[in-house]
Amino acid sequence: MVAALAAGALALSGCSSGSENDEASQDEKDKAQKQQAQIPFADAKASTGPAAEVKGAQEGGTVSVMQRDSYAHLDPGQIYVSDEGSLSRLIHRGLTGYKADASGKQSLVGDLATDSGKPSDGGRTWTYTLKDNIKWADGTDITSKDVRHTFERQFAEFINDGPVFIQQWLANTPGTEYREMLPKGPYDGDHLPDSVLETPDDKTIVFKFEDPKPDLPYALAMPGYSMVSEAKDTQEKYDKAPMTAGPYKIESFKTGKSMTLVKNEHWDPATDVTRNAYPDKYEITFNIQYETSTERLMADQGANKTAVSFNNQVDAATLPKLNKDPEAQKRTASGYQPYVSQMAINMDRVKNKKVREAIAYALPIQPYQQAYGGPQGHELAGGLISPTVSGFEDGFDPFGKLKKPLGDPAKAKKILEDAGETGYKLTWGYINTPEGQNYSPTMEATLEEAGFDVQRKEISSETYYDEIGLVDNKFDMYVSAWGADWPSASTVVPPLYDGRQIQDGSSNYSHTNDEHINSEIDRIQKITDPAEAAKEWNTLSQYVVKDLISNIPITYYKQIQLHGSKIGGVQYDDVIGAIDLRKLYVKQ
Amino acid sequence: MLRFLIRRTIGALIILLILSAVCFFLFFAIPRDPARISCGEKCTPENLELIRRSLGLDDPVPVQYWNFLSGIFAGRSYPTGDCPAPCLGRSFVHDENVLTLIQDRFPTTLSLTIGAAVVFLVFGVGAGMIAAWRRGTALDKFVSGSSLVIGSLQIYFIGPLVLWALVYSTGLFGDPAYNAITENPWKWMVGLILPWAVLSTIFASNYTRMVRSTMIEQLQEEHVRTAKAKGMSSGTVFFRYAWRGALIPVVTIFGIDLGTLLGGAIITEFTFSLPGLGALSIASVFKADLPVLMGVLLFSSTMIILMNVLVDAAYAFIDPRIRLS
Repeated sequence: MVAALAAGALALSGCSSGSENDEASQDEKDKAQKQQAQIPFADAKASTGPAAEVKGAQEGGTVSVMQRDSYAHLDPGQIYVSDEGSLSRLIHRGLTGYKADASGKQSLVGDLATDSGKPSDGGRTWTYTLKDNIKWADGTDITSKDVRHTFERQFAEFINDGPVFIQQWLANTPGTEYREMLPKGPYDGDHLPDSVLETPDDKTIVFKFEDPKPDLPYALAMPGYSMVSEAKDTQEKYDKAPMTAGPYKIESFKTGKSMTLVKNEHWDPATDVTRNAYPDKYEITFNIQYETSTERLMADQGANKTAVSFNNQVDAATLPKLNKDPEAQKRTASGYQPYVSQMAINMDRVKNKKVREAIAYALPIQPYQQAYGGPQGHELAGGLISPTVSGFEDGFDPFGKLKKPLGDPAKAKKILEDAGETGYKLTWGYINTPEGQNYSPTMEATLEEAGFDVQRKEISSETYYDEIGLVDNKFDMYVSAWGADWPSASTVVPPLYDGRQIQDGSSNYSHTNDEHINSEIDRIQKITDPAEAAKEWNTLSQYVVKDLISNIPITYYKQIQLHGSKIGGVQYDDVIGAIDLRKLYVKQ
Repeated sequence: MLRFLIRRTIGALIILLILSAVCFFLFFAIPRDPARISCGEKCTPENLELIRRSLGLDDPVPVQYWNFLSGIFAGRSYPTGDCPAPCLGRSFVHDENVLTLIQDRFPTTLSLTIGAAVVFLVFGVGAGMIAAWRRGTALDKFVSGSSLVIGSLQIYFIGPLVLWALVYSTGLFGDPAYNAITENPWKWMVGLILPWAVLSTIFASNYTRMVRSTMIEQLQEEHVRTAKAKGMSSGTVFFRYAWRGALIPVVTIFGIDLGTLLGGAIITEFTFSLPGLGALSIASVFKADLPVLMGVLLFSSTMIILMNVLVDAAYAFIDPRIRLS
């Protein structure tokens, strides 16, 4: 649904078979569960390169890459979507990054910085030191001036597509008021005061916030906060031809057609603990639809043996064919994506909790899963926190949805009758996509069976989120999906359920405005122990489901990807929800 | 001839102006906001406003249209780079001038359409002539019958079928691809064989049927009979007299088909993942990239109009009576 957004979030599972059997699914869940414990913030030792060798890996070779969409942005400050986030890991570098071991277990390490950050003053101040020998692709040194510049230019108006977390934290303001702090960015000679961002020497960067920001190392690992060269910053034009620091540089880019990445000889593997960068070259072709990349990779002939797709999934219609092809199945990598779909009930309109409870029992969630390709495309959800996010609790299922994925209309009917609300008129705004057309009639039928008078209203997929995002919309319920920006529910619960954020275009689609939730958000945001915070966020998300009944979990997003038989080191990436490009190699 | 060309050019410019205006104003009538699409899922109203301003969407629509028109003659300047005249605008999605994108994609579409046209003219006209030559025989019946069957097929049906049979299951052909003819003519041809075959299939059968019937008609015309009576060889009669007469409807239909050919190229490019103008216009529809959409529309219309003028001129050479009138 909508643009694939989202930087981080821990999707789990490694390279597993893509079969539809329970074993594979259990495998993914086991791996996910291992990750529910907080991703450790690593020290200097764990942040020192080079990266651990991938078993059996060989240097050299060219990887062909099939991508559906061309890249709209190459300027790190403008990067938010997952496709560009994947690419970003090959060409850009940030202060911090995620390191995945051979089993897929992640830790957050220093990338350009020597470690994941040194907090002081209760998490209000964070100090980073740059590594030695880190260079731009033109051979010049990366210094703290570049880091300062990277963050200051985020305040300029032309940066309007990237994440805004750190700007808001530095300015200590909500929304986009942060821009007032440095309206022209650093381009008129103005700078952020030392009281918020200090660079005492060429190697040191100090962030200072009003409130504790325990999530800063996560935020800094977002592709949107990768470094920008001060000397080579061409402002708007940087988006087309950025200076890079990663193991690859862009040799050519023909919009919508092709891109060639070649090795950056100034990248020193000894400074990089997260990237192996074995191939010499990546040749990316755009405009390859999911169906085509799936067919080509399944056939595995000629040049497609050394091919992958960074982000194309296996086409849902081709999944049954793949499931009958054991050879091709060996060449899949699958796992979760950070999104959770849910039915948001409009709290301004459906005020009777008993009615919401009846919806919760009646709503069948399996049709939604089926519409998106079955268990390989989505997993039925019990809670609102994805398995990829710290604090996920397997087995939470207050309305027995996992046991009765087709809904429990009989129980719902009883609740409606007891409440004297039989025949309740329920206006449901559904998205007009092939999937929406597929699942909504089945869902409607079960709700009708429970005694609701369902009025299904079609909403164009183009304007869907704009329409359900209006505070004064005329719908009682609608489906929404949200992905965590990094593997902490601090990027899920506040944006979705904080009642003080209700306004047109906000993501609190259910208009949840509950005293308990609001005060808990304030309290949990101040907890500096990430593991404790994760537990508290989960408890609060469960309150939304079972006590308030404003949002009913539907599914967790999953993904399955194919690669050619001569590509090695393929491992599903826990953080970006796609294969990990940093470990790939060509089998010679 | 000169007057004819001037008249046609003025007519063409008026058509283009009307087309561009209709396309431009229609775009703003549909409920799609390019800024909203660019802004992504986690969009704030403030950022939306910034993007709208940076795309020039905060101006009234007539002003935007005027900017577009004047840019064609005077060029425009954007924060992300200059766009010299003739400027068809700059993509909303990619930091690229529309004309640059079109210039980059046009060789693919041109290779596809010209190649397909050659294939369907040679095979379509050829088969029609053979059928007329052997009228009433089993060969004629076979050609006429199969042209009916083939003529009812569609690209989106044959394309995937051909890919499955010749590429994915058997590996007889490599993946269709576009390689510049200037770099490697052999690779250019090999990469485009399947798309040519598929795109030409839907056209070829029309020409077969038409050429067959007009050839049969021509063979009964008086001048052909006279030639025969004069004792000319049947080969000379067939090619020199009958064929020439049968060519006129072929040229007429070909002129009309040029537009359809471009339409067919859009589907073919999509089916075979070729980076041509068709693929560019589909992508721009999905992303509400108005400047690219306008650019491709104007460019293709210009090409079609130009080709039609050429076709009109070609009549004169084929049939001297037209020149005289």
